Amino acid sequence: MMVMTFAIKVNGAVHQVDVDGDTPLLWVLRDVLGMTGTKFGCGMALCGACTVHLDGVAARSCITSIDSIADSKITTIEAIGTTSAGARVQQAWLDREVVQCGYCQSGQIMSASALLSSNPTPTDSDIDDAMSGNICRCGTYLRIREAIKHAAQSSSGED
Amino acid sequence: MMIQDRKTSPVPCAGGSPSANGLSRRGFLQTVAATGGGLLLSVSLPLRRGAAAPAGTVEFAPSAFVRIGNDGQIVLTMPYVEMGQGTYTSISMLIAEELEVNLAQVRLEPAPPNKKLFGNPFLAGEQATGGSTAMRATWTSMREAGATARTMLVSAAAKRWNVDPASCLARNGEVVHASSGRSVGYGEIAADAALIPMPDSVALKQPKDFRLIGLQAKRLDAPAKVNGTAVFGIDARPPGVKVATLAQSPVFGGRLKSVNATAASAVNGVRQIVQLDDAVAVVADHMGAARKGLAALAIEWNDGPNAKLSTQDIVDDLARAMLGSGEVAQNIGDCDTAMAGAVTRVDATYQLPFLAHATMEPMNCTVHVREDSCEVWIGSQVAERTQAAAARVTGLPLDKVVVHNHLLGG
Repeated sequence: MMVMTFAIKVNGAVHQVDVDGDTPLLWVLRDVLGMTGTKFGCGMALCGACTVHLDGVAARSCITSIDSIADSKITTIEAIGTTSAGARVQQAWLDREVVQCGYCQSGQIMSASALLSSNPTPTDSDIDDAMSGNICRCGTYLRIREAIKHAAQSSSGED
Repeated sequence: MMIQDRKTSPVPCAGGSPSANGLSRRGFLQTVAATGGGLLLSVSLPLRRGAAAPAGTVEFAPSAFVRIGNDGQIVLTMPYVEMGQGTYTSISMLIAEELEVNLAQVRLEPAPPNKKLFGNPFLAGEQATGGSTAMRATWTSMREAGATARTMLVSAAAKRWNVDPASCLARNGEVVHASSGRSVGYGEIAADAALIPMPDSVALKQPKDFRLIGLQAKRLDAPAKVNGTAVFGIDARPPGVKVATLAQSPVFGGRLKSVNATAASAVNGVRQIVQLDDAVAVVADHMGAARKGLAALAIEWNDGPNAKLSTQDIVDDLARAMLGSGEVAQNIGDCDTAMAGAVTRVDATYQLPFLAHATMEPMNCTVHVREDSCEVWIGSQVAERTQAAAARVTGLPLDKVVVHNHLLGG
């Protein structure tokens, strides 16, 4: 495969990257652009640690090839706080003391903020469906669910 | 950082201490003016080995450092790593409680590996985080450090105001003289405090007066972990670094028989294929290229002596081993007689399989080897072993190997 130059929009800035077209977005973010907030866990879309947003929708960057992104806007944990849902989720994560080791939490927060953007008042079942692909070895699941509800409530009166 | 020995006599300490096995209760402290201003305390955790040496003859070996800067920021350098168990927060609470500062004023810095300086007294002097030992090892010494600093800050303020220290109190990072309405921040008085002789004894707070210990606290490491700025070992990015990934023999004791690297070498961004006895590594500009190269390798393994070893074989071996007499680790009372006379006997067999920890953060390590030194970036529970391994492989002396320890993704 030929190295090509891809122009990708990450957190509002356009970056030119010279990589094979099948290179996963994860490694472009982490190793080419040096944005290490997005985490590598499994490389097979099994753990959710690498979750980013493509046009506001949660995507596993470890299996998202760079040539599939085109003009989609990429948002990562580094900039999710500039969105309404992302800022509320981050605050809820702090209010509810969600994190322990923290390694999976970038991905958890990206999945949770994508959920709240599309569904401002998720049920337990909605939360389970949206978050089931993000695993946490510390076992913070119950606090994650509480924090998502907390973030959902904090949106009332906004937006 | 220059550390002067201004204190050779032990500081008496209050509170319990696990002394049954000869662990000394001497919590040595030293104080000195900090580089760049402020007050620096060096804390020595009592070492299990050699604790019987008489006072004054033991070489001072600090295990942690507390720096009170001119800006009032408290920086705690300590050898325990954070992997989700909350040690950065809980040990900071010990300092903040006695020092009378808010927890948010304490900042943590991981300590570099130095067995002599940072040994864990509960792990036989090894610099390690494990076995739920961090809180037990620091409970008294960290509180003493905080109380000593607080006492010296109060003394310094009282001296400046020419009042009795007993008429002053420490509160919220300030020394307050209530009767005259005066107060001074720790940062402003820290340099003066460094010139005060360290008190021979300090009073630790009574549990009824605790305002942090025993209560819910906000984790100090949480903000960085919700905005992507927390740096784990895998996030280390020294300038110019290449990345590598590797395939190891799938069987313990197996060896590399052959590898065809033609396709892997042709992958864009792949720089080098490294063959070892029991592994093949692909070095590349980024991990995407390295993993693509690894997948393109055609590897044949010689599985070696364990080729046919099964889980059942391991279980059977262990079961056979249990039929022997074994080693006695501890013998309290008369177990044989007690068992013979037991009213109820329970026979049960418990088996656990061998399992990988399977941490969320894949095992990783970044190394920069130079002619005369070696730098390592890692998240490790035992940074000292990392240092030793790097020294062994490079042939460099230990003091030429620097290990930068990081948050661990558990």
